[in-house]
Amino acid sequence: MSASAIAAVAVAAVAFVATWAAWAAGGFAVDVPWAPAWDLRLSLELDGLGLLYALLAAGVGVLVFAYASAYVPRHLAHEGRPRREEARLHGAMALFLVSMLGLVLARDLVLLFVFWDLTAIASWLLIGFDRANRSARLSALMALLVTTITAVLLLVAILVLRAEYGTTQIDELIAVARPGWAVALAGALIAAAALAKSAQAPLHFWLPRAMAAPTPVSAYLHSAAMVAAGVFLVSRAHPLLALEPALLDGLLAIGLLSIAVGGLLALWATDLKRLLAYSTVSQYGYVVVMLGVGGAAGAAGACLYVLAHALAKSALFMTAGAVTEATGRRELPRLGGLARRMPLLAAGSGAAVATLAALPLTLGFFKDELFFHAAAERGTWLAVAAVASAALTLAYLGRFWGGVFLGRSDAEVRPVPRRLVWPVVALGTLVVAGGIAPGPFAALAEDGAAVTAGGPAPVDVAYHLDGRTENVMALAAWLAGALLLVARPRLQGALSALARAGEAVGPERVYTASLAGLNALSNRIHDVEVRDLRARIAAVLVPASALIALGVVLTPTGGTYAVGPVELEDLPLVLVLAVGALAALATTRPRRHLRLALALSAVGFSLAVVYALLGGADIALVAVLVETLFALLFVGVFSLIPARELRREARRRSTGRTRARNLVIAATSGVVTTLVAWGAFSRPIPDDPAAERYLALADDAHGKDVVTVILADFRGLDTLVEITVVLVAAIAVATLLHGRFRA
Amino acid sequence: MNLVFAAAIGVIFGAGVHLLLQADLLRVVTGLALVANAASLTLMSSGLTRGREPILPLTGDAEPASDPVVQALTLTAIVIGFATTALLLALIVVLYRRRHSVDLDDLSREEAEAAARDEAEEPALDAWRELGLEVDEPEVAR
Repeated sequence: MSASAIAAVAVAAVAFVATWAAWAAGGFAVDVPWAPAWDLRLSLELDGLGLLYALLAAGVGVLVFAYASAYVPRHLAHEGRPRREEARLHGAMALFLVSMLGLVLARDLVLLFVFWDLTAIASWLLIGFDRANRSARLSALMALLVTTITAVLLLVAILVLRAEYGTTQIDELIAVARPGWAVALAGALIAAAALAKSAQAPLHFWLPRAMAAPTPVSAYLHSAAMVAAGVFLVSRAHPLLALEPALLDGLLAIGLLSIAVGGLLALWATDLKRLLAYSTVSQYGYVVVMLGVGGAAGAAGACLYVLAHALAKSALFMTAGAVTEATGRRELPRLGGLARRMPLLAAGSGAAVATLAALPLTLGFFKDELFFHAAAERGTWLAVAAVASAALTLAYLGRFWGGVFLGRSDAEVRPVPRRLVWPVVALGTLVVAGGIAPGPFAALAEDGAAVTAGGPAPVDVAYHLDGRTENVMALAAWLAGALLLVARPRLQGALSALARAGEAVGPERVYTASLAGLNALSNRIHDVEVRDLRARIAAVLVPASALIALGVVLTPTGGTYAVGPVELEDLPLVLVLAVGALAALATTRPRRHLRLALALSAVGFSLAVVYALLGGADIALVAVLVETLFALLFVGVFSLIPARELRREARRRSTGRTRARNLVIAATSGVVTTLVAWGAFSRPIPDDPAAERYLALADDAHGKDVVTVILADFRGLDTLVEITVVLVAAIAVATLLHGRFRA
Repeated sequence: MNLVFAAAIGVIFGAGVHLLLQADLLRVVTGLALVANAASLTLMSSGLTRGREPILPLTGDAEPASDPVVQALTLTAIVIGFATTALLLALIVVLYRRRHSVDLDDLSREEAEAAARDEAEEPALDAWRELGLEVDEPEVAR
């Protein structure tokens, strides 16, 4: 194991133990001011819901990171990349874990939002880990765009709640919120952000694409962490959402849609990881349905479901990675018969499949029992839908496991490192242990559900050998699932048609079309605005002048513009200013470059005299020095460019239309600048000018020239930065003229 | 005097803008230098007091010292303006060495031709494929 892998595993292990210890010690809370002016607090607190998700993220993290330590070096070798890049993946995984922990502990919505976006950034790094692969990069971008654009909705919701109730603390909000437009709007926005993060239909399309990530990333992000963050947010904000029953109905509808879309596509998909991705869409649909049902039963079911699903699904992703590593294949039709060759893996993933399919003696049995219970409480129609969903789940998972481990194939099986197998076995053991002794798992889920339900939400798990509704529903689901599995080959045509229809007119098309449209619009604007430098200057100056002129016209001018007294002793100043202005006008006339440079110097030297007359001895000296250097610099540049090129340039004439346009733009800018400067100079002098304090303090700074003291002492840091700019410019000039930029 | 200063600033700025809009890059740089000059003059003439140099000791009752704050700002502006203008001139020299022209019209024409050549060699893919989201078989990493 490399050092970075050990570090990642250690981070996860420490997080797991620390969370556990903190909970056992009675909780943990931090609350320090963050931005007091906005009343923001860095408040983190461990409660039952946070505990559940934190333990999942850290615990599954330990196993997945251990798996990754064996998987990633092989992956890099397949891709022909140096092994040291391993550290990038482990680092991003650890960053993800920490963001996820922050997210589940945050009690301030703004803080939660920060961690929310951090998880998105980490997931972008992870999905796009194979950066040479264009498809991976675009998939990473898609996941980032879908989850961060919807994250803006979450931010809007936070602002709405803050405007209405004056706080962003979740507990305070839950205490004061009442049904009304603010809660309805904010609740809908929060739900939209959360459902996009959990890859619920119609924003589910990014998840199958995200399978471009290396397998450990999928095993972590797309089972226990990233997608779980969405349902976590809904669970966290559930007491707010529950104020508006329509929101819960919306959750119910989206959850059912996701179960159906994800389940049918999982039944159709042949690629192992894509099948699992669609299955994740469907399984989080279950959780969303239960959150939509709400109440104690819904909350209890949702929490136990998240727990059982995260354990089992990460095991299945890791199974897919190990199978592909052993055979070099990843499509179901080309796999089979691996049970004899990889018995441990088959057993471990078999337990995971059984738990997702809710077979008895696994933790998953209870998750479906609670699901059926919540559904039956809501009504017969939902009970029927629940049985259909469970049957679909059983069918596609049976197909997954049977397709890989049963039957036969010509696949050659290479041995794989033990670390690709034992995390799967560990998780399989865990879910079977949960099926035999569900107590600790139920307690964990119960603590979480109490937060969501806003009161006690008992997680009652036990086997009952009687004819109660849940048992009848489970039996019906197994039977229907088995039939569906047998009948699947005949349904392939219909499933393909569904998948094609989804690709042709589905939400992914909307995504690509909007991206292509935005790209085209951006290109169009770019073409118009940046055709050349002059068009760009005009594009900045003309609207800016127009806006300023508008401001000047609309602002009341009474007393704003004062001509100011002109005394006889000001005559030299007026004259020199006139010379400078005339010299400036002269620069626009000559065609020859040398005369142009001379006219520019004339402007500069006149201004130096103006500065001297204004009492700026230092400025005048600097201006003379700089203008001299300027004159030399221009002459030097002229000598570096052949004279015939300069003559050719001097003889060029622009068209009459361009000349007229330039003249109008220049005159407008000049007039507007005059107005702005005049308005500024006419402002009354403030009571306590900074100059007086500088004059008074200069002596204490042991300087006589106040300007020098300001530059070297009072504003010394500015001067330091200025010197840096000059130095950088000097290095750049030297590099350009003598370095490897020489053509 | 307010109006006199403002008018001078406006003229210098207007002349600078006129040069900025030319095709000749050397004129563009000259224009930028003029705009920088206009900015320096604006800073200097916005001083709250005018009088003798702000150098101690000041004989309090005679003439007031001129505002040292704007002088410090102007000094910074002049030096930075000089550094950036020098950099621009160096860029023009390098541009000439590579493209044998200091004319924006020539350069943009050349750029358009190069873009057309690239397009002819490798036509832009249609939007779907360009985004890498082709319908049939998306790539899935192992």
